[in-house]
Amino acid sequence: MSKKSNIFQDAISSFVQGPVTENYPAEKRPIADRFRGELSWSPEGCSGCNLCAKECPAGAIEVITLDRKAKRFVVRFRVDRCAFCGQCQTSCRKGCIDLANDRWELASYDRSDFEKLYGHPDDIAEYLASLNQSEATDD
Amino acid sequence: MAEISSDNGRKFTIPIGPQHPALKEPGHFEFVVDGEVIQEASVKLGYAHRGIEKIVEDRNYTQAMYILERVCGICSHVHASALAMGAEQLAGVEAPPRARAIRTLVYELERIHSHLLWLGVAAHEAGFEALFMYSWRDRETIMDILEEISGSRVHYSVNAIGGVRIDISAESAQNILKAVDFLEERSKHYLNVVSSDRVFLQRSRGIGVMSPEEGNRWGVVGPVARASGIKRDVRVDAPYAAYDIFPVTMITASEGDLEARFTVRVRELLESTRLVREVVKNLPEGELTTKVKRKIPPAETVVRIEAPRGELMYYMKSNGTDQPERIHGRTPTIPNMASVLHLTIGHQLADAPMILAGIDPCFSCNDRAVVLKSQSHSDLWSWDQLRQYGIDRYHGRT
Repeated sequence: MSKKSNIFQDAISSFVQGPVTENYPAEKRPIADRFRGELSWSPEGCSGCNLCAKECPAGAIEVITLDRKAKRFVVRFRVDRCAFCGQCQTSCRKGCIDLANDRWELASYDRSDFEKLYGHPDDIAEYLASLNQSEATDD
Repeated sequence: MAEISSDNGRKFTIPIGPQHPALKEPGHFEFVVDGEVIQEASVKLGYAHRGIEKIVEDRNYTQAMYILERVCGICSHVHASALAMGAEQLAGVEAPPRARAIRTLVYELERIHSHLLWLGVAAHEAGFEALFMYSWRDRETIMDILEEISGSRVHYSVNAIGGVRIDISAESAQNILKAVDFLEERSKHYLNVVSSDRVFLQRSRGIGVMSPEEGNRWGVVGPVARASGIKRDVRVDAPYAAYDIFPVTMITASEGDLEARFTVRVRELLESTRLVREVVKNLPEGELTTKVKRKIPPAETVVRIEAPRGELMYYMKSNGTDQPERIHGRTPTIPNMASVLHLTIGHQLADAPMILAGIDPCFSCNDRAVVLKSQSHSDLWSWDQLRQYGIDRYHGRT
C-alpha cells in the first residue's frame, strides 16, 4: 500500500513542479563563485617570471617580453587550448590572473576570436607593429 | 554475424563493438552463443588509447597532474591526487592535515557521484529507466556541491603538489551537510528499490555469481570484490590521505551476484555520506600546502588509492629534474574485466550488458598501453624498431 501511495505522491509532485530543465539561454542558473571561466590578465605587478606559462598543462599562455627592465609584457592567451584548471591563477604570486566566473559562453564561429592579447594598449600596439615588421622583412 | 559449425549443432559468434549502442565507450566483445546461451567470450581493448603515460614524461609534475586528472572523467580526483601524493612521497614531504582531510572529503564526494552515475547506467542497462532518471537527478546535487567547492563539475583541480588549492568555507560546509542529508535519504530509498523491486531482481539476483575463490583467482578489486565477500579496500588495508583519522567501515556482501554488487555500492553511498559528514564536522585547522621543491630527487614510489571502481595504482619514478622519468598507472577496470569474460559464460546473451555494467567499466581509463605478443618481436622496442614497424605497417596496408 505504501508503495502505491509513494507512486501517487511522486506522480502528483512531478505534475505540479513543472519541468526541471531550464529555458537556456533565456534563463541562466547562478554560477558558483569559484567557477573557472575565461582567463584575463592585468599587467600591473607582473614581474615576468613566466610561471603561469611554465605550469600551464595546455600551453595556452605565452608571455612576450617587450622590455624586462621596464616590466613591459604582453600575454597571448589561446582560449581554445585552455583546460580551465586555474593553475596559472594559483601560480601567479602577483595576482595578475583571474579566471572570472561570468565569462564562460565562449563558442565562436571565428577561430581568431580564440586568441587574445592582454597588456597595456601601447604595449599591444608595439608588439603588433613588431609582428607586422617582421612579416614585411620575411616577404 | 559470423557462423561457425560445431558438432553439437550451430553456434554463432556475436560481435559487440567497438561501436555499439549498448556500449558507452569503445571495446570489442565477441560472444560465441549456442541459442541464447553464451559459450565463450573474448574482449579486445585499446580503442581509447591516448598515450597519456608518454605525454606526462614530457611535462613537469604540476602539468602532469592536470594531464592525469583527465585520465578519467568520472574519478578525476583520484588520478590527480595519486600523482600529487606520489610526488610528495618522492620529495619526502607530507601534505598538511587539513589538505589531507580535504582530499578525503573530495574522494568521498566523488565516490557518491560515481556510484550514483553507475546506478543510473546499470539501471538503464536493465531497462529500468525511471531509476536511471532519478539517480542522475540526485547526482546533480553532488555535482553542484563539487562545483561550489572546487569551481568545476568534472575536473575539480583541487590538488596541488604538496597539498590542495581549495579551502572549505563555513557556508560550503553547511551546503555539503544539507546535500548529504538529502542523498542519504535517497540512497536508503535506492537500497530498498534494488533489493526489493521484483522486476529488477529478475535481472540481478543469481546473475553473474562469483565466488571469493574465483574473485581471488581473477584478481578483482573494489566493490566487485567486496560483493563476493573478499575483504579488499585500500582505504582500510593501507589508509592514505586522512583515512587513518576518519576510518571507513568496509562494506561487503557474500552473495557475489549482480544484486550484491548493487547493494554493496548503494551501501557504500550511505557509508560515504557518513564519512563526508564526519570530515566536514571535524576538519583539522592549519595550512593547505607544504612547500615542495620543483626538482625532485631520483627515487621510485608506488601509490595506491581506492578509486570508486577499486584499487588504483600508480608507479612513479623521478630523475632529479622537474619532470617525471616514468609514470605508470593501473586502473581498476583492467583486473575486473577478466571477471566479465568468465561470468558471462552460461548466461543468456541479454545478461551480458548487465554483467559488464556490474563491474562499472571505464574503457578510456584502462587503455594505458598496448603489448604485442609475437614470437618475432620482443616486448621491448627501441625507437628505431618502433619507427620501422610503423613504416612497414604503412606500406603493407591493404
